[in-house]
Amino acid sequence: MAVYDGYEAANQHLLEVAKACAAAAAKAPLLTGKLGLRMEIVTGEDLEPMIEVLETLGKTSAFQLHDATAFRSYKEEGILPPILLLGADLTQPPMWNCGGCGFPTCGEYLEYVSRNKSVGIGAYGPSCLWKVIDFGIACDYACACAAQHKAEARILFSVGAVSLFLNRLEGCSFILGLPIGPVGQNRWFDRLPWTKVLGYEQRMMTQLAGAPNLFMAFSGGGKPILKTKPRWWEDPTFMKVETDEEFIAAEAEGQAEVYEKIMKLAGVLDDDEDDDS
Amino acid sequence: MARIHFNEWPLYSPSDQNKKENVLMVAKLMVNAALTAPFTGGVHGCEAEIAYGQKELEKIAREMERLAHEEQPKKLKKPFLYEAAMVRESDAIVFLGNFRARNTPMDASCGLCGGEPDCSFVYDRLPHFNGVVDPTDRRRKTTINGPLCMLRAHDLGYAVGSALWLASTHFVDAKPCYSVGLAGRNLDFCMDSEIVVGILLAVAAKNPYADIPPEYHLTNMNNLVDSLRKIAVITRQIPNHPYMIFDPTKPVEGRQEDKEE
Repeated sequence: MAVYDGYEAANQHLLEVAKACAAAAAKAPLLTGKLGLRMEIVTGEDLEPMIEVLETLGKTSAFQLHDATAFRSYKEEGILPPILLLGADLTQPPMWNCGGCGFPTCGEYLEYVSRNKSVGIGAYGPSCLWKVIDFGIACDYACACAAQHKAEARILFSVGAVSLFLNRLEGCSFILGLPIGPVGQNRWFDRLPWTKVLGYEQRMMTQLAGAPNLFMAFSGGGKPILKTKPRWWEDPTFMKVETDEEFIAAEAEGQAEVYEKIMKLAGVLDDDEDDDS
Repeated sequence: MARIHFNEWPLYSPSDQNKKENVLMVAKLMVNAALTAPFTGGVHGCEAEIAYGQKELEKIAREMERLAHEEQPKKLKKPFLYEAAMVRESDAIVFLGNFRARNTPMDASCGLCGGEPDCSFVYDRLPHFNGVVDPTDRRRKTTINGPLCMLRAHDLGYAVGSALWLASTHFVDAKPCYSVGLAGRNLDFCMDSEIVVGILLAVAAKNPYADIPPEYHLTNMNNLVDSLRKIAVITRQIPNHPYMIFDPTKPVEGRQEDKEE
């Protein structure tokens, strides 16, 4: 006989839920019938390199910072959830010649892949349309399984991309990460740790940039005022479209830093070469 | 009290029709599951349509057979023909399409479409004005008018997955098909979408989408039953007898068989 703390026991149970999600993904009905799905459950300290790279990426990108902040905070709280990584090589077509990839035949597509396969911000390509859809079905089964277990979960591009760059599930062209937990309410949506990162002004600025017309005054004059304050007609604000050299430079610098970080974690670069980490 | 009787056989009898109405309810709930599936950035990009009724399903099966014979590579001929037979044994079809994959890419530089850290692969190959895709030229040189935003296409998988999950939770057999989706799309189901997946649904003692014998487009149960109806009619005309006045199990004077004993 024993007494368990409810939250502690529930958080420990999440690893079992992650295994159930893996089983569900493996059972997902497919269109092509051969996805070659690969999976890995990563927990505890083994997540640290992924979180570190996410933090570095987060210096120039909000959505990666959003996830990095959550992982770091959950780790500090001692409730870092297991992550189910799902991956597959989506560059292998079923030879249906559908044209969805942009090439008239699978043969021409494969010819292009053999010479041009490369990587974007989080995936290798070009990809086969039907493999991409099948991979979606498998990932959805993992998500649905977590939902049926009433476990907190959100399928993440960010942590999948980082895992890809850190050579997890080698040979996969695309990886997504599904954190299962931590136990709680909307852990991956209205995030408590994020309240400390983004100020009110920044939040409103993001809203404004995403949907400027909500705050736009009469546009018939050709240069509408953007209503950025209560007495918006006084000392009015206007919108201006411009290239941002400073941001472009910062982004390139950020990319270089990420590359360096990954090389260090992979043991290609020496840790001592850099002292500001 | 009203009575509602259910039986999967004969097809389209009132008892089967009652069962089909149950499947239709699940089909509608599957659409809910598809619409609430996780999508990239939570952005809605999925449309759905249901095909129900013998004639509607027959039209889809015939378009699949036309595709098999006229348009698809040899490799897909039998799968398409087999799945057309499955359509005729289905109770309903749920079509799910993604209308963003071609017309409104995610623009996230993910790399899935062309392996580049930008969206150039798609925009270099599609008609567009400053990144706004022109969808008005609907002529197709290939089955699917590519290239497409693969991150949006990936979303379609989640819609299909959640719909399938709901079907399986309700013990309705379901099978997602490329062939059915294509035929549906060609017949204007989910007409805003370049990519459509068709999910066959059936409630039956035997899952009609598993245990498929060779030449299934010819050896399926509909053909077996029809051949029985054809042969039984001929066969009965040979052992005929005036049953009110004659019993063939009794000896008959002058009958060859009885003389030998």
